[in-house]
Amino acid sequence: MISPDSQTLLLLCSQLGLPSEPEFSPLTLREWNPLARKLQALSLRPADLLDLPQAELQTRFEVSTEHATRVARLLERSGALAIVLERLNNLGIYAFTRADKDYPEKYRQRLKDSAPAVLFYAGEKALLGQPGIAVVGSRHLDEAGQDCAKFVGNACGLSGQVLYSGGARGVDTLSMESALEARGTAVSVLADSLEKQVKVQKEALSRGDLCLVTPYSPNAGFSVGAAMGRNRLIYCLADYAIVVASDAETGGTWAGATETLKNNWVPVFVLEHNAMPDGNKLLLQKGALAFPHPFKDKPVKLSDWLKGKAAELPAQPNQPSLF
Amino acid sequence: MNTDIKHHALKLLRAMIGDNADFRSGQWEAIEAVAIRRKRALVVQRTGWGKSLVYFLATKLLREQGSGPTLLISPLLSLMRNQIEMAARIGIRAHTIHSANREEWDSVEVALKENAFDVLLISPERLNNERFLESVLPSMAGRIGLFVVDEAHCISDWGHDFRPDYRRIVRILKLLPKSVPVLGTTATANNRVVADVQAQLGEDLLVLRGTLTRESLRLQTITLANQSERLAWLVENLPKFSGSGIVYCLTVPDTERVTGWLKQKGFSVEAYHAGDDQSLDRPALEQAFLNNEVKILVATVALGMGFDKPDIGFVIHFQRPGSVVAYYQQVGRAGRAVERAYGILLSGAEDDEIQDYFIQSAFPNVETMNQILVALEKTEGLPINDILSRVNVSRSMLDKALKLLEVDGAIGTTYEKHKTIYFRTPNPWQADMERIEHVTNQRRTEQAQMQEYMAHTGCLMEFLQRALDDSNPQPCGRCANCRGKGLPAKVSHELVIEAEAYLKGASISITPRHMLPSGIFPDHKRKIPPELLNETGRSLCYYGDAGWGTLVRTGKYEQNHFSDDLVEAAAHLIADWKPEPFPVWMTAIPSRRHPELVRRFCERLSTRIGIPFKPVLIRVSDAPQQKTMQNSSMQANNVINTLGISGDVSPNPVLLVDDILDSGWTLTMAGWLLRSHGSGPVYPFTLAQATARNS
Repeated sequence: MISPDSQTLLLLCSQLGLPSEPEFSPLTLREWNPLARKLQALSLRPADLLDLPQAELQTRFEVSTEHATRVARLLERSGALAIVLERLNNLGIYAFTRADKDYPEKYRQRLKDSAPAVLFYAGEKALLGQPGIAVVGSRHLDEAGQDCAKFVGNACGLSGQVLYSGGARGVDTLSMESALEARGTAVSVLADSLEKQVKVQKEALSRGDLCLVTPYSPNAGFSVGAAMGRNRLIYCLADYAIVVASDAETGGTWAGATETLKNNWVPVFVLEHNAMPDGNKLLLQKGALAFPHPFKDKPVKLSDWLKGKAAELPAQPNQPSLF
Repeated sequence: MNTDIKHHALKLLRAMIGDNADFRSGQWEAIEAVAIRRKRALVVQRTGWGKSLVYFLATKLLREQGSGPTLLISPLLSLMRNQIEMAARIGIRAHTIHSANREEWDSVEVALKENAFDVLLISPERLNNERFLESVLPSMAGRIGLFVVDEAHCISDWGHDFRPDYRRIVRILKLLPKSVPVLGTTATANNRVVADVQAQLGEDLLVLRGTLTRESLRLQTITLANQSERLAWLVENLPKFSGSGIVYCLTVPDTERVTGWLKQKGFSVEAYHAGDDQSLDRPALEQAFLNNEVKILVATVALGMGFDKPDIGFVIHFQRPGSVVAYYQQVGRAGRAVERAYGILLSGAEDDEIQDYFIQSAFPNVETMNQILVALEKTEGLPINDILSRVNVSRSMLDKALKLLEVDGAIGTTYEKHKTIYFRTPNPWQADMERIEHVTNQRRTEQAQMQEYMAHTGCLMEFLQRALDDSNPQPCGRCANCRGKGLPAKVSHELVIEAEAYLKGASISITPRHMLPSGIFPDHKRKIPPELLNETGRSLCYYGDAGWGTLVRTGKYEQNHFSDDLVEAAAHLIADWKPEPFPVWMTAIPSRRHPELVRRFCERLSTRIGIPFKPVLIRVSDAPQQKTMQNSSMQANNVINTLGISGDVSPNPVLLVDDILDSGWTLTMAGWLLRSHGSGPVYPFTLAQATARNS
């Protein structure tokens, strides 16, 4: 059962129960974070907002009338939220928020304030953040890329590592299917259409071998922005990331990989072979580690190999996190 | 401050129902609980007490404080027209969305967007409807100031009324912050149901409960063995009642039969039910009854809760209802605003059989549910016709199974290309055997309690009060047992014989099927070409019913011989029927299991009515019995693969004879075969129709 704090975050930060072009749009992370900080400063929980009259919100939180009205109106739709949430639960889709204890710890640690306030998921949520390897790359793959995607998926399956990917065509699907075929587990961080994907993947989901997760509405359609925005969420759940193929200086794969390198979220490996794309070469220059093709050792040795290579990288400091 | 608000509320009340009106005990307490203290409350009060006043006034007060509109969830929306008109007097704007008013949805959505409404009434099914969730709910910006759950006893499995959708309502209410008030209303809930509702909606639920007794009601029970005696009883006793009244029956065919009989006897009477009779205009019937243009409605439970006619003078049950709660609700429609009203319960031999049927067919079996899931697991979703061609289950049972699976979260639905698509969700599913057993046992207990009521020699009102956990049960001094006298249980012999003749003489139409089930002939269109269609046919009776029904049953399953009485009755029926052009030959549906039964009957009928019998239809392979085929696709397939033609088919009109009509597919496909082999018009005739007992 969902906590009142989570209910509040869903009301404020998700699209659930709102029309496609709402008069009052949900809060962005940039808008929610200051409010969350003020709640902590006042020793309040998010759910306390539900009983707070608008005038008091305005004075105690020092926000504009306009902002206070928006918050009040978003909170008013708890009836609709309950109805919509019940239907999603019935379809096998659940929500958690930054206010939940079981919100993926790796997002809190690595993304801090920019961890999504709300996540929707289907399947086995305990997989989120379990030891595993992320595979990223474009939808269109050369032969080496295809082999690599399948190899990493299979290796994850055989060695009990979770295969993290973005649930799109190409690299994502190939590696995920290989992992599941090897009786392994996988997590797909979706940019759109969670509701549809739940229907397609119902078997792996009901076996508990797969978790689909997304920060966007379960019925959201495809958008480039969303696809770019979720890339970091793939990296941040994993222990290591392998970039199979990237364009240079352009595209989602490039953006995600360089962002991860810059923030040091996880060690980034790049597939190295004679005919590798320009993006791969540039990423190696920017400090990504080389991942040889073909891999010389047995598949089950993959994670040990990645661990050994990554051991040279410096450890990351920690900071406390917000709701 | 509350006294000011109460004063204001009283003024609103008077604007709604009249200057001299005052709050009834409990009404203000309920309004205050939800509209001022924003609590959850359960109101248990008899029908007519004024539960709708509570939620309309609460809505008004909440709206004045700036709250969002009220969402009222009720399974009986069509019966709320009067209440909505009453609410309009204090400026409450109510809109309804249900499956039957799709054409109004757009304008309702506009009203919602403009915040130009105060109450939205929906049926429980809407809560899982995509359009409602994606369009209607967002257009009211999701603001719901008050949840009203009508017929709240359905929340409990201990209730008399099992509605799967209410489990969804409970889950929604559990997801609702405590700051949103909730009002449950019901006319009947015993202690156990109230405790269960409390357990599910939270211990701080405020329960407001009133007394059930109705001062004007005079109860009586009368046992009369068969239908003809009860039909005779109605004719002798109905003229003794003044005013209008309701005669309740358990099944649709029973309402039709009783209505036909009473009309023949000159009573102002109409049948009222939710059967598939397209010509039945229920709102018009309700209105005619309200205006006393129709004196008596012969109704199934479809004339349900919420129907409010204050001057009903009598409620007579032609058959015994399944539970005390159902009986109390139905008999409680009498005597709201009249000094003296009668509640007479007639009971007879078929009552237990019908109730047993209702109980047995309440749940689909677990194997069927699993077959449906297996069929869906292999696909990304199927429309209902595709499920029917994969799973051997009747349409009505499939509907029940899908509803249960959907509420359990095992399947979901989407709407694509004007079709509902059912798909498997990743949620695990296991049959809740405990719940099924529990509900079934509950029904048995209720049936036994009604049997006790029939046999009870003490005060009847007190019996009902005790059964419903009334706080203060008392002997009423008015019922037949208290007064030691009542209406006679004896009926005149002549009238009984006449009623028996009526039951035997009432023939039944066979409506020809115009469409083939989908997936039978992939290359054919589903519509049967007009030149291959059957004509409208006739059946002598309903299988197993009083009248001819019993004779057909013993003939088929005990004696393997249909009696001369049935030949004679069939001959009379055909003579009265006079199909045009009249058949000049007859043929029969062949059977491998009882090859002689129908053939010998036809030979005798042929001699009796003087048209030749030519057995041109043959069985080409041994098929399973048609009645084991549960749905159209399976049935039609079964027939196509097994029927053939042998010998010459005369180009003249033909009478097509069978003993019992099951699905109608055998007759449809046989007619198709005959016509496509050159016969003239085909008139089906069967001795009996097997009826599913729908209300």
